[in-house]
Amino acid sequence: MTLKERFPLPWILFAAAIIALPLVTSSSYLIGVMIFIALYGAVAVGMGVLNEQAGLFSLAHPTWFGLGAYAAGIVATRGIAPPWMGVIMGALFVALLSYSIGAPLLRLRGFYLANATFALLLIVEILLAQLGPITGGHEGLLGIPPLSFAGFTFETDRHYYFVAWGLCLGTLWFLYNLMNSRFGRAIKAFSDSEVAASSMGINVPRYKLYVFILTAVMASLAGSIFCFYLRFTQPGVFGFPLLVELITMIIIGGGKTLYGPLLGAFVITWLREAIHMYLKDLLPRMTAEVDAIFFGILIIVILIFMPGGLAGWVSQLGRVSRRVFGKAGRA
Amino acid sequence: MTFLSQVLQYAISGITGGSIYAVIGISWSLVYLISKVLNFTTGEFVMLGGMLTWVLTGAGFGLFSASLLAISCTIVVALLLERVAIRPMRYPTEMSYMMATIASASVIKGIVLLLWGSETRRIPPFFGTEVIQFFGATLTSQVLCVIGLLLLVTIGLSLFLNRTIVGKALRASAINLNGAELVGIDIKKFRLLCFGLAGGLGALTGIVITPITFTGYEIGILTGLKGLVAAIMGNWTMTGTVVSALVLGLLEGFGAGFISAGLKDVFALVVMIIILILRTVSFSPRARRKTT
Amino acid sequence: MAKPVGPDLILQASGVRKYFGGIHALEDVAFSVKAGAILSMIGPNGAGKTTFINVVSGIYAPDAGEIRFQGQDIAGLPAHLVAARGIGRTFQLEELFGSLSVLENVMVGCHTRMRAGMFAAGFSLPSMRREDRQMREEAMQDLAMVGLDGRAHDAISQLPLGERKLVGIARALAMKPTLLMLDEPAGGLAAHEVDRLVRLLYTLLDNGLTLFIVEHNMPFVMSISEHIVVLDEGAKIAEGPPGEIRANEDVIKAYLGEEH
Repeated sequence: MTLKERFPLPWILFAAAIIALPLVTSSSYLIGVMIFIALYGAVAVGMGVLNEQAGLFSLAHPTWFGLGAYAAGIVATRGIAPPWMGVIMGALFVALLSYSIGAPLLRLRGFYLANATFALLLIVEILLAQLGPITGGHEGLLGIPPLSFAGFTFETDRHYYFVAWGLCLGTLWFLYNLMNSRFGRAIKAFSDSEVAASSMGINVPRYKLYVFILTAVMASLAGSIFCFYLRFTQPGVFGFPLLVELITMIIIGGGKTLYGPLLGAFVITWLREAIHMYLKDLLPRMTAEVDAIFFGILIIVILIFMPGGLAGWVSQLGRVSRRVFGKAGRA
Repeated sequence: MTFLSQVLQYAISGITGGSIYAVIGISWSLVYLISKVLNFTTGEFVMLGGMLTWVLTGAGFGLFSASLLAISCTIVVALLLERVAIRPMRYPTEMSYMMATIASASVIKGIVLLLWGSETRRIPPFFGTEVIQFFGATLTSQVLCVIGLLLLVTIGLSLFLNRTIVGKALRASAINLNGAELVGIDIKKFRLLCFGLAGGLGALTGIVITPITFTGYEIGILTGLKGLVAAIMGNWTMTGTVVSALVLGLLEGFGAGFISAGLKDVFALVVMIIILILRTVSFSPRARRKTT
Repeated sequence: MAKPVGPDLILQASGVRKYFGGIHALEDVAFSVKAGAILSMIGPNGAGKTTFINVVSGIYAPDAGEIRFQGQDIAGLPAHLVAARGIGRTFQLEELFGSLSVLENVMVGCHTRMRAGMFAAGFSLPSMRREDRQMREEAMQDLAMVGLDGRAHDAISQLPLGERKLVGIARALAMKPTLLMLDEPAGGLAAHEVDRLVRLLYTLLDNGLTLFIVEHNMPFVMSISEHIVVLDEGAKIAEGPPGEIRANEDVIKAYLGEEH
């Protein structure tokens, strides 16, 4: 790939904008929202690659996110290891778990896989609430110490902003390279035709497992940052509502492109903030309910009217403009 | 309690749960077989049945009329669901249907939460709080209602599917959608019918079970999922679903009783995962596979 | 291109059986393919020809029998390992990858010959980029061999049937196979496309490839094959050069009622 292909201009601009933001504003609120977008977006992008590009409908990503958060949180609060090591240990734990569960689960097709991973989501949520002594039960873990590394402690929102976006952009970059390599071709190949892909020498079950574990670990890393930023976790955060939110992000942003879910994260998060602000006087403290209704209706509307999501719409625009302006090239 | 009475008690609660899962599983099958839609709102229909009955009895209606009204409202919700979220989809796949129903479930839950809060609610048992003692185990009248419901539904549905024209047409369409359309059967109407049926059955189930297990905005997911487990285990047939549901219920009952009540739901979920995985393992000894 | 192993037998099938429940799809099929030859398998519909290719390429495991490729038994090996050993194939229904462009489809064929791991790919290491460039060049060459290098960046959906079949062949060629199996390559092709196919196959032969073709199109088969195996209801009923097969009584009876 040429240098220009490896670092496309739109992304350079985007990264620059991201870096510039906390330097031009000191609004804690703004930075906080952007941190959420970075972390949820990272999870959503990974889920998009797994579900839409590889065709493996896993609903387990909230679980990996949650386990990453809990693992790092438990390690840090018990003083088992410094917080940054908790992040790594969480990632290893999730890698191991997704490896052992993934191998049998990934033999399932379509909706059966979705079902099994949904069951996994619920099981972990229940266990997190039930295993009080370890996980703090329904109230969750409180008083998690801040992230620190090599003597530097991440205290302010701005610190976590850079960590979160560093992770998000790093994830995106890694996945971008991956999807443009023989790996990405293999993944798209077996999502189109497993038979043909294996006949070309691709070990399909193994590749499915790779993508499964990779995206799980990415979600886990995001979850660990999440817990250090919030300084607490609760089992309820990582269940059905988060799943619906992630699905909405993927559907709105469009799953067929890499950046679609991140775009979806932007749109959804800011839309939700807007709605909360608007309804603040009408329905005080009703945020979870409003979210549930809002996301649900949004998913249905998008599914019916814009199945390709926003990114799909952008791609179509791109195709049309390319025809109009006569440039050759690939989508 | 003696061991025998313990076993009996857990068995009773197991069969109660199993009967509920059976009817819910049948609701899943009805919709899935006719339209390939995985209706994740099935659980919400159950919740609505109990919830709406509670609301209406609180508003002054008698139990019976409240129930009827609740069932009708739920049926309307189900029909609305089909019209608004399912029918308009232009390029539907199993997955997009599933997401649409998940989204609808989210909406319904949100509305219920908004209107009536998050506390669990209950309605009084239909026939009072009389109990029957049975070898040391307690059998409440409500449990008998639940089992009665199961019998009613299975027999009624059997008669409907096997003895009426509409029922037979429904079965035929489930077997061969294209063939059915070719002979003039309007699949869309049938789908609507099945959604309505699922709504009604779900609501009825919810009303019957609420005196025992109470109701709340969040019970839909797990209850619905367990019904789905039964349907999958039973391979979407009616007998299979009922049998699987009862087995599942008993497993749950004994597990909750002898092992841990808090982990009750985990059993059903773990069973589901195991069953799903086992289905993919081929037991044919003939075809050998090498690994190098 | 791969060089055959002398005048040896590239492929030897013996006693191959495949049952699907009560259906005997393949019943004691046995024959050999000489290196550098063109062998065709024909038979009426449902005779088991595609099943046989699927068994050899590893999509199905046979219930009995041996399949020796270059002397080693590959019966029961999963498809990706069979491919790695040097057997390439095409499909009756092309089975191209719609999410990828024409060139990318062919590049998938290069997959097994590359080493870059997941991390090398994700971090875009120089080693991976070098391999990628090389794959791209080789894939272009394979596309050029089938005459489609001009269509490298098109979407699969833009290609007509004949060209899609050629992409399938290019994709299999990218594996640098020793044996190439073609499942109904001439199916649905117009006369001039069949001619183009024949010329391509002769070129491949000259480059040292061995060809095993399953086909229905009789004139095509008769003109190109050196050796023919006839299957009927899962069993081999005849084997020999085209002249013999054409006159064989059993073969004619098997095809009775079918138009050719």
